[in-house]
Amino acid sequence: MKNTKFNLLTKILPPPSDNIISGSDLDKGYKHFSKGLRIILMVLVFVPLLIISLLSHNQYASLLQNEEIDQLILNLKQSQSTIEKFIAELQSVIRFVARDDRYTELLDSHELNILFNRLQNEYPEVADIEIIDSHGTQQAYAGPYALENHDYSEQLWYQEVLRQGFYISTIFSGFREIPHFVIAVSKKHPQQQEKWVLRVTVEGKALQNFVDTIGITYADDIFLVDPNYMAQTAPHKYGKPGERCVLYDLPDITSRSIKKSLAGNEMFTAELTNIQIFQKIYNEQPIFQAITKLKNTPWELVLVKEQYMYAESWRSFKIRLTTIFLSCLFISFIVIYRLSSAITNHLRESDLKREQFLIEAEQPNKLASIGRLAAGVAHEINNPLAVINQKAGLAQDFIEITDDFTHKQAMEDALDGIQSSVERCKKITHRLLGFARQAEVRTEEININEVIREVVDFLAKEASYNQIKIDFDLAPDLKKIVSDRGQLQQILINITNNAVDAIGSGGAITLRSRQIEDDTVQIQIRDNGPGMSIEVQKHIFDPFFTTKEVGKGTGLGLSIVYGLIKKLGGTIKVTSEVGKGTTFEIHLPLSQN
Amino acid sequence: MTKTKLLIIDDEVEFASTLSQRLKLRSIDATDVHSGREGLDILEEIKPGIVILDLKMPDISGIDVLTAIKSFDPTIEVIMLTGHGSAGSGIEAMEKGAFDYIMKPVDLKELLDKIKTATDKRNHTQG
Repeated sequence: MKNTKFNLLTKILPPPSDNIISGSDLDKGYKHFSKGLRIILMVLVFVPLLIISLLSHNQYASLLQNEEIDQLILNLKQSQSTIEKFIAELQSVIRFVARDDRYTELLDSHELNILFNRLQNEYPEVADIEIIDSHGTQQAYAGPYALENHDYSEQLWYQEVLRQGFYISTIFSGFREIPHFVIAVSKKHPQQQEKWVLRVTVEGKALQNFVDTIGITYADDIFLVDPNYMAQTAPHKYGKPGERCVLYDLPDITSRSIKKSLAGNEMFTAELTNIQIFQKIYNEQPIFQAITKLKNTPWELVLVKEQYMYAESWRSFKIRLTTIFLSCLFISFIVIYRLSSAITNHLRESDLKREQFLIEAEQPNKLASIGRLAAGVAHEINNPLAVINQKAGLAQDFIEITDDFTHKQAMEDALDGIQSSVERCKKITHRLLGFARQAEVRTEEININEVIREVVDFLAKEASYNQIKIDFDLAPDLKKIVSDRGQLQQILINITNNAVDAIGSGGAITLRSRQIEDDTVQIQIRDNGPGMSIEVQKHIFDPFFTTKEVGKGTGLGLSIVYGLIKKLGGTIKVTSEVGKGTTFEIHLPLSQN
Repeated sequence: MTKTKLLIIDDEVEFASTLSQRLKLRSIDATDVHSGREGLDILEEIKPGIVILDLKMPDISGIDVLTAIKSFDPTIEVIMLTGHGSAGSGIEAMEKGAFDYIMKPVDLKELLDKIKTATDKRNHTQG
């Protein structure tokens, strides 16, 4: 019965019996079935396992990533606020010393030097102090360099500080020839309307020291860059101070999942305006680059973090996940392999049994029709035989009452010959009719030795044509068994016939009977034919298995024998050796109960 | 005591006539007919003491003819001719009242013995 709805399924998993066209397809069918079953079960196990593994992989990755980004933002903000505080402190100190009315006082170099010294006590990196008038001309200077009367009026920073009141420069070397930056404040001249400027130069290493003291436990690098992305402090890994930071030349490869998780990150969105996070590849190493502008300065704070993929927790997670995945796969493969083999074997056995039952069920019918045919033939032949018998008898009668005549003796001999031939025919038809009785399944007391002789009578002709000698080794004191004569005949004919076929020509068959136990009779049929390999022996009782040429054997004989013997409550086994011959051994109970 | 008459009923004409001829040669008053119907029709006329009856005939089966004969005259002894190798059908016939059965092809000596026994039995019961 085919169900078109499950076409795909039946294609992968065809019922094994579908593939059985001949005996040789039997194993193929079950192998196919077993393979299909394995594939389906593997898919059923593998797909969910793979989905779960991938899900947990991605889930854990995004968890780690989110945590990483959170940490990065937190670090960035902490560092930002620390640096901003420092700048603000510096700024307020300078604002404080440059009170509006101190302009005249500070023009005095003595006063300026006192201020410079005080500042240097507090901030050793302060390099010098200058007072610049409203025209951009330096009016006073305290510091190690001879920088008197410098004109700054055309410089951008000067214009900036006048406009904004406060200015911080980027780090540059200038004519001082060491990296430094400038903090300047502009103040109103107490009498005039114009502004004067206090300019403090701070050595770059002040900023460096500060960045260094922030210390970075989480990030892999921290540094400042100017608006042209020149490194203002020394990065550990990503460039050199005073040079353009390499990270800014790398393409941003921020993945969609990160953008998505950033969009959902409260810390990030709250500070969205001044924090940026990029994902980049530096020296084949994925990194996060977090950037924020520092308030009131020209600088950007940069934090770099190498990505989690190379972190320990991620590596151990991946190892564990892979181990679990592979061991699940391995275990399920073994279980599936065994399960499908077991199911297929089970199926094969029950199919075989069913086949056996079918054959056994069919057998009585077959026997019945063969029996009817035999009976019909015997009866038809019997009638003319009876006529011949009577006619010859009549002729003999007449000769008897007739006086001597020429050839009387020869005539009598001829008639005797006819009578004895009739007698032989009679025996043949009786035997045929005897076989016909097999159709009627019934049990009776049977002398096994008799049955053996009957069977051999049938095969003796063919055996003798092939120069096969049939010997008997029958135990005379054999107990009678209660069994079905016809079926016993069939069993013995099948096996003996196989032996004749196997030998071909020139050989011997021995039929032997023994009482081996009080309730068991043993029959052995031994031939000195070519024997069978172990492989063939394994299959001889399988239906449709035959070693005979195509068309010569149905492959059913021994499977019927097997079924019949089982039905009669007996057992059969075969021992065979290639080149030496084969022995079938049948054990039958005295009675079936 | 009148000589016992014998009737052979068998559809195989050659067999029946030859057997009848051979019995006559042995001084047995034998008549042969070739169907069950004929056999039953001639019963009244011949009044046989022994009937040799074929089990298998095309018009009426031997068993039915046997039953009819026995109901006509239970003293008539019937010897069944069976074509079967099986004794089964002969035994079945004996259960229905046949005196004995003999298998085809018939061994004349055996048949003569059975006829003699049947005649003896008949004479004994009648006497």
